[in-house]
Amino acid sequence: MSFALDPPSRGRRGMGRALLGDPMGLAGLVIVAAFVAMALLAPCIAPYDPVALDVKAKFVAPSAAHWAGTDHLGRDLLSRIIWGARLALGIAITSVGIAGAIGLVLGLVAGYGPRWLDSLLVLVFDSLSSLPMIFFALAVITVLGPGTATLILVIVLVSFPAYARLIRTQTLTLAGADFILAERAMGAGAGRIIFRHLLPNVVGPLVILICMDIPVIIMLEAGLSYLNLGVKPPSPSWGNILAEGYTSLRQAPHVVIVAGIPLVLATLGFTFLGEGLRDVLDPRGAGRRWT
Amino acid sequence: MTPVLDLRHVDVDLPLGGFLTRAGLPILRDVNLSVGRGESVALVGESGSGKTTLARAVMGLQAVTAGEVHFDGTAIAGRDGFSRLRRDAAMMFQDATASLSPRLTVGYLVTEPFRIHRQPLPDPARMARDLLATVGLPPAIADRYPHELSGGQARRVGVARALALRPRLVIADEPTAGLDVSVQAEVLNLMADLRRDMGLAYLIITHNLALVRHVADRIVVLYLGRVVEEGPTAQVFAAPAHPYTASLVAAEPKPDPRKRRADLAIRGEMPSVLRRPAGCEFHTRCPLARDLCRATAPDLRPTTSGRLARCHFADHHQEQGDHHALEN
Repeated sequence: MSFALDPPSRGRRGMGRALLGDPMGLAGLVIVAAFVAMALLAPCIAPYDPVALDVKAKFVAPSAAHWAGTDHLGRDLLSRIIWGARLALGIAITSVGIAGAIGLVLGLVAGYGPRWLDSLLVLVFDSLSSLPMIFFALAVITVLGPGTATLILVIVLVSFPAYARLIRTQTLTLAGADFILAERAMGAGAGRIIFRHLLPNVVGPLVILICMDIPVIIMLEAGLSYLNLGVKPPSPSWGNILAEGYTSLRQAPHVVIVAGIPLVLATLGFTFLGEGLRDVLDPRGAGRRWT
Repeated sequence: MTPVLDLRHVDVDLPLGGFLTRAGLPILRDVNLSVGRGESVALVGESGSGKTTLARAVMGLQAVTAGEVHFDGTAIAGRDGFSRLRRDAAMMFQDATASLSPRLTVGYLVTEPFRIHRQPLPDPARMARDLLATVGLPPAIADRYPHELSGGQARRVGVARALALRPRLVIADEPTAGLDVSVQAEVLNLMADLRRDMGLAYLIITHNLALVRHVADRIVVLYLGRVVEEGPTAQVFAAPAHPYTASLVAAEPKPDPRKRRADLAIRGEMPSVLRRPAGCEFHTRCPLARDLCRATAPDLRPTTSGRLARCHFADHHQEQGDHHALEN
């Protein structure tokens, strides 16, 4: 017989099944999976080159040749949206991954470490989150110049304090729990306690928060790109498509509409998935609803 | 022979968390307590008397404000001292389920002491199985998670984990809390067997006097963070020297309710540690308090029967038979 020595929490399968059994979670999962597939398979499924110009065919309404129509330079909108998914998800997942990792480590250190370090870190979290996001983004972009890397940096800086604070609160609650005292009484060091015993118990809510944050970041990216402060124009960002479509709103309203749809869907998908995860991620509730 | 555990004049203050002040709640005051090799000592007292704080102070979970804790003849100090203490002494918490890390399997949890203290662990699965067998649990339990265990199983897992490194001392905080009477008996018998087989010493913290009678060689009674009486279990039960002990014994449920002694019942609540009564700290609730008790604090001193009691009239009560609990 063998038991898992480093068990990756229990019953991944049971959890997956619970998520599938929840209509909202299932819908979220399907939408998110569709976007991820779209992003990964962009080169294969996009019918046209997203940046190829065809000025003769500008502002073509949705048709058999161009399912989503074309924009003011005759670029195929469906292809641009598909490639835009790659950009949007790439930026959102990268920045949220980095921010999540920073938030997790700093939150654990603040919550379990010495008091002075906690006070110092909380000061940093509070200072960063007290800055108004758009103005902070404008300032950083002005200094570093627009671009994908700057965008990711801005998103990381504005989002990690919330993650760190969540983890810190969770850690503080658990630090006095019996099982942590028991570990200390057995002689476990801070590293073991933080990474083996605290981390697995605080990471669940972070995953949920991150999932709910991805649409916010997609919107932020679109917003900054719309303001010409994010992804540089030829790249097919959803924000760029919207910005360009806005100028020709009267002539060709389909541009804004088709660029808006994926934004709405992505937001809904990640939110549903986050809420579904929230319901199933508690180990004690795995496989059964509390209702 | 040096005792396994020896507390000398231990004070513990719980910090109040003030910014500039170091003031704290004076939970324990001048506690002397020793546990000999293979001895089983019970620490009894009401909720709030400082029992659990004392256990935590021994394990270094709570800083000792004054006094010394000696383990195996040496004073515990510094990282190395605590590391050694935590290897050779184990603590079982009151809530057995909550003291198991929820995301890890029982198999991992019972073998964790080996990993913490870098002891050789060639075959973890086998070791887990052996440890579980020692406490009478089937091997399949190794794959379970703590929330999948019953209270009795979680308690046994706690015992298995405490025994993993063959400690010399086990501190058990309410080892029967939350268990059915039949399971309580099983756990107590298990602890007694292990003590005989492994030469363990126990410090058992409880307010369950039936348990004390069953497992303890010696009993130490704590009131408001001070030891008020100490002596061999049978003697203390037969003739308590301190009125507090007498009332605890008298309050114990008896098969025959007519034999309960209402005159020994203590009234009211335990005073706050922030406003310790002047004189004898028990005088506010003592059915026998006199002027002397309100004025002068008694010391913990030997009675004529060779026990220790913190009462001006310990010998007097005993002679007069005032405090004799009824035959058990």
